[in-house]
Amino acid sequence: MAVIQAPPVARREPLGRRLLGWLTTTDHKKIGILYLVNSLGFLVVAGILALLMRTELARPGTQFLSPHAYNQVFTEHGTLMIFLFIFPTLAGFGNYFVPLQIGALDMAFPRVNALSFWLLPVGGLAILSGFLAKGGAAAAGWTSFAPLSVQGGTGQDLWILGLAIVGTASILGGINFIVTILRMRAPGMTMLRMPPFCWSVLATSLLVVLAAPVLTAGLIMLFADRHLGTVFFDASRGGSALLWQNVFWFFGHPEVYMLILVAWGIVSEILPVFSGKPLYGYRGVVLAFLLITALSFTVWAHHMFATGAVELPFFSVTTEMISIPTGVLFFNWLATLWKGKLRFEPPMLFALGFIAMFLIGGIDGVWMASPAMDFAIHDTYWVVAHIHYVLFGGTMFGIMAGFYYWFPKMSGRFLSRRLGLWQFWIQLIGFNLTFFPMHILGLRGMPRRIADYAPDRGWTGLNTLATLGSYVIGVAMALFFFNLLMSLRKPKDAPADPWGSGNSLEWATSSPPPPHNFDTLPEVRSSRPVYDLRRSRQGLTAGESPA
Amino acid sequence: MLATRTRRRWLIPIGTAFLCLPMAGCAEQPGTSQAQDVRSLYYVILALAAVVFIGVEGMLLWSIVRYRRRKGDQSEPPQREGSTRMILLFFLIGAVLVGVLFPFGEVTLARVLANPPPVEVINIQASQWQWSAFYPNEGIVTSGKTFVRPLVIEVPVDEPLHVHLVSNDVMHEFFVPAFFFMRNAIPGFPNDFTWTPTRLGTFNGQCAEFCGLGHARMTFVIKVVTEPDFLAWVKVERQTILRIKCPPSSGNKLHITAKNISWNTNCLAVLPGQPISISVTNLDAGIDHNFAIWNGIDTTHQFFATGKFPGVGTRSDTIQGLRPGKYYFQCNVHGPAMAGVFIVGHPKQGGK
Repeated sequence: MAVIQAPPVARREPLGRRLLGWLTTTDHKKIGILYLVNSLGFLVVAGILALLMRTELARPGTQFLSPHAYNQVFTEHGTLMIFLFIFPTLAGFGNYFVPLQIGALDMAFPRVNALSFWLLPVGGLAILSGFLAKGGAAAAGWTSFAPLSVQGGTGQDLWILGLAIVGTASILGGINFIVTILRMRAPGMTMLRMPPFCWSVLATSLLVVLAAPVLTAGLIMLFADRHLGTVFFDASRGGSALLWQNVFWFFGHPEVYMLILVAWGIVSEILPVFSGKPLYGYRGVVLAFLLITALSFTVWAHHMFATGAVELPFFSVTTEMISIPTGVLFFNWLATLWKGKLRFEPPMLFALGFIAMFLIGGIDGVWMASPAMDFAIHDTYWVVAHIHYVLFGGTMFGIMAGFYYWFPKMSGRFLSRRLGLWQFWIQLIGFNLTFFPMHILGLRGMPRRIADYAPDRGWTGLNTLATLGSYVIGVAMALFFFNLLMSLRKPKDAPADPWGSGNSLEWATSSPPPPHNFDTLPEVRSSRPVYDLRRSRQGLTAGESPA
Repeated sequence: MLATRTRRRWLIPIGTAFLCLPMAGCAEQPGTSQAQDVRSLYYVILALAAVVFIGVEGMLLWSIVRYRRRKGDQSEPPQREGSTRMILLFFLIGAVLVGVLFPFGEVTLARVLANPPPVEVINIQASQWQWSAFYPNEGIVTSGKTFVRPLVIEVPVDEPLHVHLVSNDVMHEFFVPAFFFMRNAIPGFPNDFTWTPTRLGTFNGQCAEFCGLGHARMTFVIKVVTEPDFLAWVKVERQTILRIKCPPSSGNKLHITAKNISWNTNCLAVLPGQPISISVTNLDAGIDHNFAIWNGIDTTHQFFATGKFPGVGTRSDTIQGLRPGKYYFQCNVHGPAMAGVFIVGHPKQGGK
């Protein structure tokens, strides 16, 4: 709450009243901000856990985290980053901007919206409170493979409970987004005039509604095996250890796309705005989003090649096929830049960084899509490198682009450009120092999730480099938070369209928007209503040049 | 200014990627014929990846340098959108790449999974946190000792080696980096594969599927040796087992303690014809152990077993009806990683 203040009110209300307002709000914009603040809190926690892990791994030997502590730390790092930072951040942007972009007053179910937010800190704290439990927090990894996860203590139960709550929250949120997007669009805002960001939220919501219940089912089975005497995952009594993996990854792979689709949406918004051009192939991008959504349900077993228990050619070819629509996205982004007039504001830099880094995460995944090659690098640091090129190089750069892009709209204030540039370059360098060497560690056979390694394996130098890189990332993150806090003290001087080249409807209302979102809603006659508005104010019709 | 900065930003990933990754200085030399095939596949994918990487990053850099807005230029660039034909082309490019890549992967996969008639067979058992290896044809078994020393497996060079892999508790993964291969050890779901080691030497391996507290230390070593060396090693291993002897306990009262997934002894001896009382202490908190007596390391007939119970705790029991002879005991959860010789016989005969 300290990070972002309330939108302006006529007279400053007393603190208690304002706090109550935040606690009871059903305004999608305030809920969106609550999502973001909550997510940033968990980012700090999960980020510190990452630094602890990297510090332990810098040199061989156990220096300051025991293996049991290390196992808890990497489990909580993964769980919190995925379920309580990345996903809720994207949901926060979705909450704030989907109703604005489609010209709606609010979400379809404002009170359900508030509920799905408030479940998040509850679930997150349940997971985190494992550190206070006897035997410590969950320590079976964010994937919590059974039967290992049947063994753990109270921390594992808290993990199950917390994740079930967070999962419920995301299902409620997903339904809300789907109904909002399908039923609440302003006149003229046809589906194929919707900004790509809204499409990405719609696709993500479909994934959530279809996949998250499967995780919940798995969590219930796991809990039953732990406490109710069932044997779903106990092979010695007729169950199957592979059942958990099938259930988990049937959720878990669509989950990966839940974590990246919205970042694609954000980048697809930002590139046109700072290139001065429309998105090159709008329909191609939408089609790619939908194809990826569908295909993502057919690839889960590529996480299980090394089990020897899945149909290898099928899951290999579906996995490789996902690269086709993903490639279409890349080509569209590049073609959007082509012959544009590029302005390197911080959102644009992060979006370009996203393309450059996410590409690497796409390419190094191709090795793993081929089962014979996967047998050599699966469960090594290659996978750790891959997932971080996708989720940090991809999603995190996308999230940062989103913060710099929309912060003026949400707060009425610009984030410092200067600090933004510093953050970008430091983050880019730190990120590559940390995660690129992990590819080589993987090829040299360093398995993931080990608390320690022997000094004679040839892994020490690269691990030290990765640890230094992680501290550089820490500096970049500190700059980001410093920038947020400093900017909140600036005057609110952002105009309705702070970048001067917005396309979508959120730029047609004041910064920040009034509680009812729009005083007047511009007519929607294309996928770029604010661009049309700007042109008509200049007395020009589409196609003419203002020169 | 921006252009030079942007170029510099690529030095790190490009420098590392294109100096180390192509030269395979990153990975070990392949140790099996299957690993050689996988390495070739690595290069095929690398070639395709390089084309995509250079193409996309090159276009990105070009756009950044060439199409940046110049100072004072407020004019609007052409508002061009893509034609359906271009979008189709975008789909086609990816489809062609997949069409080229997939068959290469399948050919290599078929080779890696091929099952030539095995000359040597080993059964690998995984448990928290130790590996054990049975050689059914040679009748020997080897194991490491959890937290103390890793399992050492010797195999002959240039002979197809059939590995039968299973877990006794949670998911594990049998991984030898130089063999470019890993496979899960799964409870209740045995896995089989074949390696043909082509290079003499000692190769490090370790568990790659997170399996709890001792995961990082669940290592093993594969020694690829010549056929005569292998036969000599088998002989020594056999004699080691036969040579184990120990004095019988007084009054046939046995006590055995499990700690760190190891027994405190590898030999128990009693006098024949009298009831035997045994107390088993498990000091491994939260980990199941039991005590069982079998005919031998092939574990075809079980004479006695206590129930499994987690530590910390002690169970006492009575063993009856064992005829004089040499038996084999183990914890059924951890197999040969917790095993020894159980001798019923006259002390002077050494249990024979």
